[in-house]
Amino acid sequence: MIGNYIKVAYRNVIKRKLYSIINTTGLALGIASFFIIALYIIDELSYDRYNTKAEKIYRICQIYDFGGVGENSASLPFPVAFTLKSDYPDMIDEVVRIFNYQSPRSLMVYEDKRFVEKGLFFADSTFFDVFDHEFVKGNPETALDKNYSVVITESMADKYFGNEDPIGKTIKFEETYSLFVTGIIKDVPGHSHFHFDFIASMTSVERVYGGRLPQTWVWNPCWTYIVLNKNVNPGQLEKMFPDFVNKYFYDAEKDNVTLYLQPLTDIHLKSRLDYEIEANSNIAYLYILGGIGIFLLIIASINFMNLSTATSSSRAKEIGMKKVVGAYRTQLICQFIGESIIMTLVALVIALIMVEITLPTFNNFTDKNIDLNILLEPTYLFSIIGLVLIIGILSGVYPSFYLSAISPISVLRGSTGKENGSAIARKVLVVLQFTISIMLIIGTVIIFKQLQFLQKTDPGFNKENIIVIPVSRTPIVGKYDVFKGELMANPSIVSVTAMDDVFGSAHNTHEFRPEGFPDNKWQFYPALVVQYDFIKTFGLEILAGRDYNEKNQTDPITGIIINEAMVKHVGWCSNEEAIGKIFRSLQGREKVIGVINDFNATSLHKSSGPFVINMKESRSSIAWFLNYVAIRITPGAHDDLHGFLEEKWNEFVENRPFEYFFLDEELKKLYKEENNLSTLSLIFTIMVLFIAALGLLGLSSYMAEKRTKEIGIRKVMGASGFRIISLLTIEFLKLIIIANIIAWPLAYFIINDWLHHFAYQTPVSWYIFLISGLATMGMALIITSVKAYTASRTNPADTLKYE
Amino acid sequence: MIKTVNLTKIFRTDEVETTALNKVTFEVKKGEFVAIMGPSGCGKSTLLNILGLLDNPSNGDYYFSDHEVSKFNERHRAKLRKENIGFVFQNFNLIDELTVFENIELPLIYLGMSSGKRKMRVGEVMDQMQISHRKKHFPLQLSGGQQQRVAVARAIVAEPRLILADEPTGNLDSTHGEEVMTLIENLNQAGTTVIIVTHSQRDAEYAQRIVQLFDGQIITENIKKRFI
Repeated sequence: MIGNYIKVAYRNVIKRKLYSIINTTGLALGIASFFIIALYIIDELSYDRYNTKAEKIYRICQIYDFGGVGENSASLPFPVAFTLKSDYPDMIDEVVRIFNYQSPRSLMVYEDKRFVEKGLFFADSTFFDVFDHEFVKGNPETALDKNYSVVITESMADKYFGNEDPIGKTIKFEETYSLFVTGIIKDVPGHSHFHFDFIASMTSVERVYGGRLPQTWVWNPCWTYIVLNKNVNPGQLEKMFPDFVNKYFYDAEKDNVTLYLQPLTDIHLKSRLDYEIEANSNIAYLYILGGIGIFLLIIASINFMNLSTATSSSRAKEIGMKKVVGAYRTQLICQFIGESIIMTLVALVIALIMVEITLPTFNNFTDKNIDLNILLEPTYLFSIIGLVLIIGILSGVYPSFYLSAISPISVLRGSTGKENGSAIARKVLVVLQFTISIMLIIGTVIIFKQLQFLQKTDPGFNKENIIVIPVSRTPIVGKYDVFKGELMANPSIVSVTAMDDVFGSAHNTHEFRPEGFPDNKWQFYPALVVQYDFIKTFGLEILAGRDYNEKNQTDPITGIIINEAMVKHVGWCSNEEAIGKIFRSLQGREKVIGVINDFNATSLHKSSGPFVINMKESRSSIAWFLNYVAIRITPGAHDDLHGFLEEKWNEFVENRPFEYFFLDEELKKLYKEENNLSTLSLIFTIMVLFIAALGLLGLSSYMAEKRTKEIGIRKVMGASGFRIISLLTIEFLKLIIIANIIAWPLAYFIINDWLHHFAYQTPVSWYIFLISGLATMGMALIITSVKAYTASRTNPADTLKYE
Repeated sequence: MIKTVNLTKIFRTDEVETTALNKVTFEVKKGEFVAIMGPSGCGKSTLLNILGLLDNPSNGDYYFSDHEVSKFNERHRAKLRKENIGFVFQNFNLIDELTVFENIELPLIYLGMSSGKRKMRVGEVMDQMQISHRKKHFPLQLSGGQQQRVAVARAIVAEPRLILADEPTGNLDSTHGEEVMTLIENLNQAGTTVIIVTHSQRDAEYAQRIVQLFDGQIITENIKKRFI
């Protein structure tokens, strides 16, 4: 019997090539897109899970909360890790700290090879006990035991040593001390929340801090991970944290400090803290993509159902006769569901080929390394089989019940049965399909608009035409004034300043005590440590008071500039009132000399808040805080300046590659995830529309064919071609209008929900809805008109004779 | 073999009620060859559908092999049908996607017969109908006469006790029509009960008894030949 089913199915496919191609291609495209999205999601969900202890590894994070201002930090002070381990040895199996001087760039030198590397980190010797990394050479147990030992990745081994054996060789770090290579590991997997090229022993850092690691409980530059004992749950350890904070953190801050645990496997998708090692992804985007993936499958399945029921009249005779000769309805239902499963299998094979072909491009675009072979893992393999069965059964179940209900008598009479019922169901499915399509169009447009908005919104300072040069640990730090002077000699350079972090992208928090706050407590406020001309270079606006003035010698020691939000936060009535108020810092008594406008010191995911602009006076402080030089240039001057800047760099810095970036380009990277999301949703929305269009093409062709006689008669009665086209298209247009009416409010609610993730939101304009509606109607009109036009051109004499 | 008592069939739409059969009472004995005649719309096909267990009457009783079957559900009727009744239609109703062999084989599949036995039985019937040389052809590649022979082959392959034929020659020229009627007559002579619905007096002549239907009622029962 099964042989008979397959034969009939095959011959039906061949007989109705157009519909079969539409059906299978649509389904294959739907499945292929779903797989690509699924692979992407699987990859995103797999972050850090390659670690055998992944389920027991937690990162300790720290909240500094000073009346809503402060930080939620991914990193901790140096002493926390091992103090915690020694206080709670039964609860914690391992701890490890990771540190990079809060400076992502290090000059690494081996013989004549000199590179500025962003992947150097220092870690405790327990690093490889916590995280799994495959050693190609060296012993993970001892690799980081000694001072100045470093483990490098295979790529770095190749980059620095080529064919030589790197073990025992030394790489010079910042031309200060030599690191001995003690191990080579495989490159860090793509799905790790933290990528490094070099891991050096933490003890190597001690010399810089006078022989031992910093003991302060304030400065928090260490990403700290623990492996919990298998019998302990995170809540149990977290209960100990208040006592721990109370015992060790300084009196001035302990009331405002909260420690908590963050599961390692949550970091990539759920963590957006201050001082993340790398920018993380966002689980909300996976939900959006997952939703699109499921919509794609639904739309493709709807095509299948629609075309199956629409073309059912051509199978009515088969069904009728099978019933006449004694087929039970259940047997027919099984036959049609079976056919549907077979078609789904065929579509699956085509889909897998499509995925294999497009995956490299997709990987390239998303900066991933996804392999189709993941799907061969038993879990996924069974899921795919399950998926085929579900799609096959779901797409087959309606047609099978509908078709198997055809009465043999009506077939013998020449009718195809319950056309009315199926026509209504088909209309419902078309409406559903287009509702989804319209929602996706609106969603994608808004995502794009929001991205544009984020990138174009005025952050409160002028980010255009600013070149930033990383200068930390270079001779420029010591000779900054001279360097600045030489730059300013170039007429294309408008102004020059320096800062400790990239303005608009990141910042630290520092301790202050504004006038009127308790004497014994520091407040931690977001702040940048800058050099003269900061306000001018970034085009900030002085609302009250004045800027730092080079002629005023005491400004760096006693002057501080705050923004308007800070004035409000402290509770001063006006900007003018703030001028002259005392603002204590670690430097001593400082006075507010200026109030500037509010601005976004990081991405627009967060709203702007109180901020302090400060200068340091001592040489050592300047050395520590002078990490980036920012240069405002005249528009269009970049090409001429590049050579000049490099020349100046080389005059001041020997043997270190010149690096620089444009501030506006750098700030765009803050929205990398939104950028990815918008492009992915665009691609898949186009896919959804294409599949829906394919379905509409199939359905409208079929309808036109079915109404051949009616069209013939109408033409005989004098209907014009235009009238015939309207007749055939208007029915579909009505459905699209209904779909719009349903989709608009749904899209509105969903989009608003998504936008609430942002502190700054693009307005949800009515015209986006209108355009999406018109676009879908236009598309439907074009597709349905194609076949309607052909139908309207047929000679009624032919069609009526045929009838 | 077949007996109907006051068989009534009423078709209802929203506004119209049509009585297709009005208290039809008649009997067909085992081995009989009966022709049902009458003008278009008189209820012939409706009667045949009910006799063929494709439809249930609105009222009245229908005894098939002494069992009252008029209230049987679809599944029960399907079982009875496939084990006892073969159908021949005016428009052949062959499945275009199946070959001659596969079309004839169909009833045996639903009877659950093994593949080997099916092959043998279909082979016998094709020989009997002289269509073996066309076994791999599709219906649309055959002439009308050949198609109807395939349809007859399909009707008899399961060796039914009753054959119902609805205008079996309606789409055939006279030569092919005669050929098909001879086939049916031969089957009857071999012991199969046959009921045909026809407009054609010539076809009706093959039957032993002609039942005249008019407006859903039997108006005459003309016993042509003595029932043997």
